[in-house]
Amino acid sequence: MNAGPRTSLADPPVIASRRRILARTRLDFWLDALLLVAYTLAYSLGFTGIATHEWLGIGLGVVLLVHLTLHWDWVIRTTRKLLRRGGRERFVWLINLLLLLSMTLCIASGILISEVALPELGITLPASSFWRQMHGTTATLTLILVPIHAALRWRWIVSVARRFAAWRPGRSR
Amino acid sequence: MKFLRHLTAVVLAVTVIVGLGMLWAHASGGTGTGSGVRRAPSREALLRLEQIKAGVIRVDSDTGFSLADAGDLIRTCVIEAVLAAVVIAVSAVRLRHRRMRRTAAARA
Repeated sequence: MNAGPRTSLADPPVIASRRRILARTRLDFWLDALLLVAYTLAYSLGFTGIATHEWLGIGLGVVLLVHLTLHWDWVIRTTRKLLRRGGRERFVWLINLLLLLSMTLCIASGILISEVALPELGITLPASSFWRQMHGTTATLTLILVPIHAALRWRWIVSVARRFAAWRPGRSR
Repeated sequence: MKFLRHLTAVVLAVTVIVGLGMLWAHASGGTGTGSGVRRAPSREALLRLEQIKAGVIRVDSDTGFSLADAGDLIRTCVIEAVLAAVVIAVSAVRLRHRRMRRTAAARA
């Protein structure tokens, strides 16, 4: 099965594919940065106040779904290769799994104990000490896991940031 | 199409986690929420809702950022920065060791 000789006609799809990859990298970078800033603000309840904290938390949940969807390929790939892979990838996978569990439970419990956002929508839920306790515990756990999760990819962050710093308008990068 | 497929899988995974949390809450008997028979809202919750509707409690009274309480934000940033710095330092040291080992092996 010969693919045939390479001609200059083959170049445009390659460039298009490269552009797509770069656009995806850019999306990942800015979405991750947005998530980190939003999370930091949402965790600082004293700074934001309860209303902003709750709406920010709900928004964070939606953006997290997009973040997870964009990286679902990695989840599947790493889970399949888990037994063959070395210690570092396994560690990253474990941190990400713990973060998924704690972040999901943190946002869900936050919605269930909402004092402003849900009543504003006309929804009231019975007060529950279980979910209040769950929210506190998972929030603390998340505060530990988020910086670890981000720092484990510091080389990717540095390389993308360097590429952005070197970027000049008009040049296709 | 691929995005939608992945989004479905993610929503399913999140639903399973929340479902397990609900089961945990139900098993521990500490909640009235869940997919089963719903408990009526507490008197406090109903009173609060009435007060919000009547405008006694302004739900948007504390929206907006309070610079006076920036200490909370600074504390969060410091915790994140310290933890990230530790992970990056360990990772950088490991990377350097690996490179040195590789260079030594190449020379030998």
